[in-house]
Order: sequence, then structure tokens, then C-alpha cells
Amino acid sequence: MSFTTSKIVVPVDFSGESPHAIANAIRIAGDASKLHLVHVLLPLDTVSPGVLLGDVSDDARRKTVTEKLNSLAAEHGAAEATMSVLLGTPGTEIADYAKDQGADLIVIPSHGYHGVKRIFLGSVAERVIRHAECSVLVLRRSDAD
Amino acid sequence: MPLTQVVSSRCLRLAALVFIAGLNLHCASGQDTDGVSAAPVESVESPAERGLVQQFNDALEPVDSFFGTVNGYIATVIFYPVPLGGDDSIPAAVLVLLLGATFFTIRMGFINVRGFKHAVMVTAGKYDNPDDQGEVTHFQALTAALSATVGLGNIAGVAIAICIGGPGATLWMVLAGFIGMSSKFVECTLGQKYREERPDGRIMGGAMYYLSRGLPELGLGGLGKVLGIMFAILCVGGSFAGGNSFQVKMSLGAVAQTLPFLAAPEVAGAADYRWIYGLLMSVVTGMVIIGGIRRIASAAEKIVPAMCGIYVAAALVILLKNIGQIPAALQLIVNDAFTGTAVSGGLVGVLVVGFQRAAFSNEAGVGSAAIAHAAAKTEYPVREGMVALLGPFIDTVVICTMTALVIVITGAWDPVQNPEFASLIESKNGAALTSVAMDQQIPGFRYVLSVAVVLFAFSTMISWSYYGERCWAFLFGDNASMSYRIIFLIFTFLGSIVSATNVLDFGDLMIFGMAIPNIIGVVLLSGKVRKDLDEYWQKLKNGDLEVTEQ
Repeated sequence: MSFTTSKIVVPVDFSGESPHAIANAIRIAGDASKLHLVHVLLPLDTVSPGVLLGDVSDDARRKTVTEKLNSLAAEHGAAEATMSVLLGTPGTEIADYAKDQGADLIVIPSHGYHGVKRIFLGSVAERVIRHAECSVLVLRRSDAD
Repeated sequence: MPLTQVVSSRCLRLAALVFIAGLNLHCASGQDTDGVSAAPVESVESPAERGLVQQFNDALEPVDSFFGTVNGYIATVIFYPVPLGGDDSIPAAVLVLLLGATFFTIRMGFINVRGFKHAVMVTAGKYDNPDDQGEVTHFQALTAALSATVGLGNIAGVAIAICIGGPGATLWMVLAGFIGMSSKFVECTLGQKYREERPDGRIMGGAMYYLSRGLPELGLGGLGKVLGIMFAILCVGGSFAGGNSFQVKMSLGAVAQTLPFLAAPEVAGAADYRWIYGLLMSVVTGMVIIGGIRRIASAAEKIVPAMCGIYVAAALVILLKNIGQIPAALQLIVNDAFTGTAVSGGLVGVLVVGFQRAAFSNEAGVGSAAIAHAAAKTEYPVREGMVALLGPFIDTVVICTMTALVIVITGAWDPVQNPEFASLIESKNGAALTSVAMDQQIPGFRYVLSVAVVLFAFSTMISWSYYGERCWAFLFGDNASMSYRIIFLIFTFLGSIVSATNVLDFGDLMIFGMAIPNIIGVVLLSGKVRKDLDEYWQKLKNGDLEVTEQ
């Protein structure tokens, strides 16, 4: 079984693994304009001072993240990619986005959480694999043994 | 992914969490903390005759005794009695807080005195710059931190302190508030200095961050990691107990003064409706923290300062009504502070009680407020530290002192002279004690206080759920909040049914426990704060700091 590479979704969480994923996706697609860089914002809490008293809002967060996404993309040769900022649970949002866009492939880094964090967080990559209707390429951590 | 798969994966995670929590609690169980758990009461009915409500309460009894058992084990470490010579000893955590606050006051050159005027100006917005990184203004950060500290600790905790330690505890409490201002300055400066910014602009900061990110700069990365995790675990515990169950328990005590059907039954087997209050608080809190209805929390945050004003005004009216007794009350406070003969325990006993209640109320040295102050917009971390030092002043030096003076002047602390207070003192029902004492002076005030107390409790719970959730996220990741919120609500409910003694002790243990990793780390990092402070102070003296046009 093979996959085509006309539309590749790359989830970006701004960790050290993100540039690695972008570079790999460009290599596979051959052209950065085929990439969709996606960041998923977790829903806001309702109790922090910034939300209750200050000016933290989903719109403000979206704006900040979009700026960061644009500059990260520009830095790593993916300025022509499509940028999207979503809100919700990362695993399902990424898979749903790929489905809606008719993507062929999702390229996602694995963070390799262990122990308790693994129990609580599971892995976004794991959830993407379970939900996605297209092929998923999970990149091994660049610092993995 | 099919829904069943999502549900089962979540259930598995929740089950794992409950299992881990169960293991932790099970390992910690064993003995009672101080033998003061609620006395068993004889039942008047056979189990077969007991109604549904009574049976429900029977089923919850083991939960209460479990709290007491857990306390015993934790207390042996956190409240380890450090010998002071002779028969006197001081609990380890209280000693750490006392030494820490004294050290910071000296190390920072009495910043609690010399920084006071500047702190007021910064809080008033004279140096605000909306372009600085952060989420809230200086004033908003202080409001948020104060809504966590101004609450039942000021009303109930202080009343308990005077009953246990005697009137002299007031003096030590005020002194603890005064030197606690320096602790708060140092920890909140560090909270700003080592905060993290998320890609969406949100700020994450607090003791867990400065311990784990600051100490590696001193070559103590391993220690920083251990202390950061230890702090976060205890803060989560503190948010469940002192910041949650204790608030519910104590506010229920005051509410039951006006709605007697919510009072604890005097005879076992009698109808007990306290759980209704617990359920109601859980539902309203749940609407905010899970339902996302932030308007309720915003409204409470805005009403609380007004309630604070009403409380202080009422206390002042009582003091003015009894102005002739004030000199004698002050004399009693000062004499008893050094003799400790009014209740028992001597100088050390009264000092420990005063410091303990002050720390529980203003949280100086505990490290919690650094989480809120880290969110402030500022160019200089020291500047936010200055704002933070106003917290213990307002909370303890002003508000706690008001409660203490009312309790001393009305004689509510003395069950021998005023036996009508005896049962409230015995059950450590501090909020009800203050309520009755104030109502005797201003008839009908207990109704106002009931409303104020519920709002204080609610806003404190909201703020502590924020502290706890941040620590939970530090331990388990940003995406793990829902499990925290569910456990928080369970503790909200439990607060209405477990005994006051056990809740108070558990809350104390967790919150004082936080002080141990926090003070160790802050002492080690204090050199960096002093350096930043000197540079900032020099700029201030030279007029190099930009003032906002108003």
C-alpha cells in the first residue's frame, strides 16, 4: 500500500521536534506549498487571572499563535504552506482537519513521554493514528537512542 | 475513532489515576494526627430504623476517619517537633517559615518597609505598560492573589488561633504578616523571573517553575527537579484541602448559624443535611471549572473586594463601640504574647499558633501566590515582587488583626467567662464563632457575614483551583486538567461532611508542606533576587524608570 503526497498535514506544537517534522514533510512532498501546518490550542481554563480579570481570550491566543506559526514556517522554508490554528483536543482535531482537507498524509513527531505523563496524556500521535483516515508517518524523536 | 474507543481510553486513564491516588493515600494511612478527631456520639437508633440520609452519612464516616489517619503520617514529617530546649518544641514547617521570613527581611534590607510606598504606586498603575509581556496588570495580579488568601483563614482561622493560642497569638500573627511581606516579595519576584511563556502567549509560573528552572543555574538541577515536583504535589493537595474542603467546611459553619437545618446533628442518627450545601457548592464550582461559565467566577471576584470592605467596616464599628476596652485588650494581647498563660502552651505555644494561622491566611513563604503574580505584565520581576508584598499586609496586618481584636474584645475566645461560645470553640468552628461574636455587637450582621463568607469561600476555591490546576499541569501536562477538576469537585463535596478538625489539619499539612521545598529553594536563589533588587532600586533612585502618564 502506498500514499500520495499532494497534501500533507504537519501538526506543530513548537517543541524542538517541530522543525524536524517540517523538514521531513518538505522532503517527502518536494514542495512546501503542499504542507498544512496545524497548531491545536487547548480550551482555555475559566479560573486563571488572565481569563477572569485580564485580556486572555481565544482570539488573542489565535493571533499570537498564528504569528509564531508564520515565523516558524518562514524560518524553516515553509512560508508557502497553509497555516491553521484549531481549538480542541489535539489528537482528534488533527485527524478531523486532515479528513476535512482531504489530506494524503499526516507527518507527526513523537515526544516519547514515559511514566505518569504517558498515562495522563497518552500520545497525540497515538490518537492521530487511531482517528486518522489517511496514512500517518510518526517520526522517531531526533534525540532518541 | 469510534466513541466507545474514546470513552474506554479515557476511562482507563481515569482508572489509573484513581489507582495511583488510592495507592498514595493507602501508603500514608495509619494513625490519628493529634487525637482530637471528632468524639464518637452514641446512636439513638438501630441501623434498621435509620433513614436514607442517616445511612448515607454513616457510609461517609470512614471517609472522615480516613482523613484523620492520613493526617497522622504526613504530620510526623511536616510538623516534626524540633526541640528548642526544655520541654518546648516547634513544628518543623513553622520553624522553616519563621526563619525564612526573618532571613528574607534581613537579606533584602527590610524591603517590607522601604519598598512599601513604591509598591503602592506600582499597584496604582503608575508604572503599567500594556506592551509588557504578561496576562494581567499589577493590580489585577494582586487582586487574584488576594482572592486566594482573603477568605475563611481571616475569619475562621484567626478565631481558632485566638481560642487555641490565646489573645497573645494576635501579636505574633501581625509580626508574621509583617516579615511575611519579605518572603512574599522574594518568591513572587522569582515567580516572574523564571516563568514560562506558552506559544499562545499564556504564562506559566510559580514555585514549581523557579525551583526546577532556577536551581539548575546554581548547579543544583537534581535538587530543583525534586523540590519542584514535591511543591507541585503538595500544592495539589493544598488546593484540595485548605483551598477547597476547608473553605466549604468553615463557610458551612457560618451559614448554619442562619440556616440551622444545615448544622451538624447534635445526636447521631438525627437528620443531617450538610451534604446539601456540599452538593450545591460542588455544582456551582463545577459550572465554572468544568462548565466554563466564567461569568459566575468573574462576578464573585468583583463582589469580594466590596465584601472585604464591609467586613473591615463592621469590625471597625465594633471596635469603636468598645473603644474604652481597646487599651485593656491590647495590654492583654501583649502580655499574653510573651507569657502565653491565657490558654496554655506558654510563649512557644502562642507564637507557633500565631505564625501558623498567619501563614495559613496570607500564604507568605508557601509559594502559592507566585503562581498568580507570575502572570503580571512587567519588565522587571522585582516590580511584581513589590506589588506582592502588599498581600500579607492587607490580608494579615489589616484584616486578620480586625478579626482578632473583635474576638478578644467580645471575649468570644474565653469559654470560661463566656460559656455560650464553648461548643463552637470545642468544635473549632471559627467562622461561626466570629459570626456569633459580631452578631452580638451588630444585631443581624450574621446574615451579612453568611453571604460574605460564602463568597469569600467561593472566590478562594476558584483561585486555589487555578493554583492546583497549574501544578497538576506541571506534573502531568497541560492536557490533563479534566481529571484534576473532577477530583477537586469531589473534595468540595467532602468538605461539607468530614469533621472540621480533620479538614483543618489536612489543609494545614499540605499548605505548610509546600513551604518546605519552597523556602529551601528561595533561600538558595535569594542572592539573584538581591542582585536584581539592587539594580532596580538604583534605577528607581536615579529616576531611570519610566512612569506611565495618567
